[in-house]
Amino acid sequence: MATTLPTTVGVRKAGTPFYFNSESHLTRIGRERATNLVELLEGLKSCPDASIFYHTFQTLREHHYLRAGFSNDFAQWVFAACNEVGLAERLAVVDVRDFTSIPEIRSRIVGAVESYLKANPASGTRPAFEPFYFCASDTVVTPTPFVANTLEEFAECLQQAGLHSIHHHFISSRLRPPVTRNDFSTWLEAELGLTALAARLNRIDIYTSTLSDVRRKIVQLVQQEITRSTP
Amino acid sequence: MSARKPSVPEPAAIAVKARPASAPAATPGTAPGQERRRAPRIPETPPVPTPAARLDDYEPVIGKPELDELRFLGSGLTGKTAKMVNSTAVGGGVAEILNRLVPLMNELGVRTKWEVITGGNDFFEVTKGFHNALHGAAYDLTKDALEIFTMYNEQNRQRMEFGEDLVVIHDPQPAGLVRSKQASHARWIWRCHIDLSTPHPGLWDFLRPLVEQYDAAIFSSPSFTRQLSIPQYLFYPCIDPLSEKNKELEESYLGKIADDFGIDRSRPILTQISRFDRLKDPVGVVEAYKLVKKYVDCQLVLAGGGASDDPEGAVVLEEVRQAAGDDPDVILLNLPPWCALEINALQRISTVVVQKSLKEGFGLTVSEALWKSKPVIAGAVGGIPTQVVHKLTGMLVHSVEGCAYQLRYLLTHPEFAQQLGKNGREHVKENFLITTNLKRWLVLFQIMLGVTQPRGTA
Repeated sequence: MATTLPTTVGVRKAGTPFYFNSESHLTRIGRERATNLVELLEGLKSCPDASIFYHTFQTLREHHYLRAGFSNDFAQWVFAACNEVGLAERLAVVDVRDFTSIPEIRSRIVGAVESYLKANPASGTRPAFEPFYFCASDTVVTPTPFVANTLEEFAECLQQAGLHSIHHHFISSRLRPPVTRNDFSTWLEAELGLTALAARLNRIDIYTSTLSDVRRKIVQLVQQEITRSTP
Repeated sequence: MSARKPSVPEPAAIAVKARPASAPAATPGTAPGQERRRAPRIPETPPVPTPAARLDDYEPVIGKPELDELRFLGSGLTGKTAKMVNSTAVGGGVAEILNRLVPLMNELGVRTKWEVITGGNDFFEVTKGFHNALHGAAYDLTKDALEIFTMYNEQNRQRMEFGEDLVVIHDPQPAGLVRSKQASHARWIWRCHIDLSTPHPGLWDFLRPLVEQYDAAIFSSPSFTRQLSIPQYLFYPCIDPLSEKNKELEESYLGKIADDFGIDRSRPILTQISRFDRLKDPVGVVEAYKLVKKYVDCQLVLAGGGASDDPEGAVVLEEVRQAAGDDPDVILLNLPPWCALEINALQRISTVVVQKSLKEGFGLTVSEALWKSKPVIAGAVGGIPTQVVHKLTGMLVHSVEGCAYQLRYLLTHPEFAQQLGKNGREHVKENFLITTNLKRWLVLFQIMLGVTQPRGTA
C-alpha cells in the first residue's frame, strides 16, 4: 500500500494561482493649488478623492527608494515649503495602512491642519516658498509574466517582479475594495492557509523601508516559512 | 566602453583662468591648480553621432520587468499610428527628445511619424517673439504678427495630412494645425514644453481657443500650466541614460578630462554646468564658493556655453571672471555645444554639483547630475524642486549664503552627501528617464484611444 507523504508548505499547490500585475500611471494636474496653509486646507476639503490617493499612496511609489524622511506630499510640502515642522510631523505620521477609505484619510489630514491653524493662526496665510499643486493619477494595470502556484514559486516571482508590482500588490491594494490589506497576505491566507505568515507580512513597515527593502523582507519571511516546514 | 578621443589636438574652447596672465606654465610633476593650467584639448567640430539606442539597450539600466511593461503597453497599441509635429528637426530639447522617442515608439509597434512645420524667417521671428512673450517678457503684439502666425499654420495645415490615430503637436508654433481636427478621426494632444504661468495676456487670449480644441494638453510641471477646459497631464522632461551626456565613462577618460582642464581630483570639486547667463547666477556661485573656501580647500568649475555666440554671455563671463579675481581654483570653461562627453565627465568628477538658478525652465542639468549620483544644491525655482526634494534628493537654496552653508555642510558630511546622490539617482530613474517618458506616452495613447479604462484612485 502506497504511503502519501505530507506535502511541505513550499510545494503545496494553491487553488487559485497568484497573478503578479503591475501598474503604470499618468499624472493629471488638478485645478486646486495652495500658496499657504489656509489654501492647502481649502484644497484638501475640495479636491477629488483621486488627489488624496495620489499624494498619499501614489507618492510612496514615486519615492520608493527613500528609507526615512518622507511620508506623503502634504507633509513634505508643509516641511520644505512652509517650514512648519510641527504640522509636518503630524501629517507625516498619517499611515495609509490605518485607513480603509480615502474619505477617512482626508478627514484625518484636514483635522490635523485645522487644529494646527487653530493653535497657530499666524501660520495660515504665511506664503510658502513654492505652491502646492494638487494632482491625481490615471492608472493602468498591466499583467506580468509571473504566476505563482506554490509558496516556492511565490518567493521566486517576488524576486523577479518589478518594484511597481510590489507597490501594486502590497501598498495600493489596501484601498482596493473589498480588500483592506495587501494582496500577498490575502492570497497566502486564503489559498495556502498561512495565517501567521500573512499577518507577519502585513506588519512590514512601508515607511521606514525602501520598496526594495520591503521586497527583501517579504522574501525573507516566505523563505523562512518554507525552511521551517521542510522536513 | 571607450571614450571618444579628441579629434583635434589644439584647443578650441576657451579656458578662462581666474589667475594672473603672468602665471608660469605648468611643468611635469606640478600639482594641478598650483601652476598655470594648459589650455584644454577640445574638439573643434561635433563628433560623429552615435547610433540611436534600441529598447534592449536599456535593460541594464531599467531592468527587465520595466522593459516588459513597456512592451506590454506597446502591444496594446500595435497597428495604431501617431504623428509628432514640431517646428525644428535639429537643435533644442524637443528635437533631441523626439530623435530618441520616435524610434522607440516604432520599435514598440506604434507606427509614429515625426514631421516638422515649415515657415519663412518672418514666421520664426514671430514665434520667437511669442516664445518670449509666453514666458512673461514684454511684447508688442501686433495684428501683423498674428496674421503671419495664422498664415504659416494654415499653409502647413493644407500641406500636411492627419490620417493617424493620434496627433501630437509640440509647443505653440504649430498649435494652429488643430484646425484640421474636425476633418480627422485622430485624438489631438498639445504638448507644451514651455512655462505658461505668466503669459502675455493678449497672446494667451489668442492661443487659448486653439489649445482648448485639443483633447488633452501636457505640461512639464504643474507650475507651468494654465486653467484649461481640457484634461492636463504631467510629463516631465527627460534625459537619455545612454546619450553622450549621460552614459557611463571610463575612469581613464575622467582622469584625462580633469588633467586637460587643470582640475585637481584630490581636492573637492564644486561644479555648475550652465550657460553664462545672469539667470543662472554664476556670480552668486562664485560668491558662495568664496564663503566656503574660507573653511574648505576646494575648487570651483563653471562650465557652459553662450559666451562665444551671445554678446550678453561674453559680458556675463567677464563679470564672473571679475568676481573670481585671481583665484587659481576657479576654473571657467566656455565650451562649444558639442562637448557632451566633456560635460558628462565634469559632472562625474564633481564632489558637489550646483545649479543656483534664479529663474529656470525645468533645469534638466539637475537630473543629469542626479543621475550620476551627485549631491546637488540648487535654487528652488522652475522645475528644480520637482527634481530636488529638499534634504532627500538634494538641497534647495534661496540665497548665496544658503548655497554656501549647504556646500559646507555637504563637503563636511560626505555620508549624507552620498545618500543624497544615491536617492537622487533613484529619483531620476523613477521619473526623468526617457524610458519613463516613453511609458507615459504609451499610457496616454491607451487612455486616449480607449484601449484601456484607467482607474482614478485605486
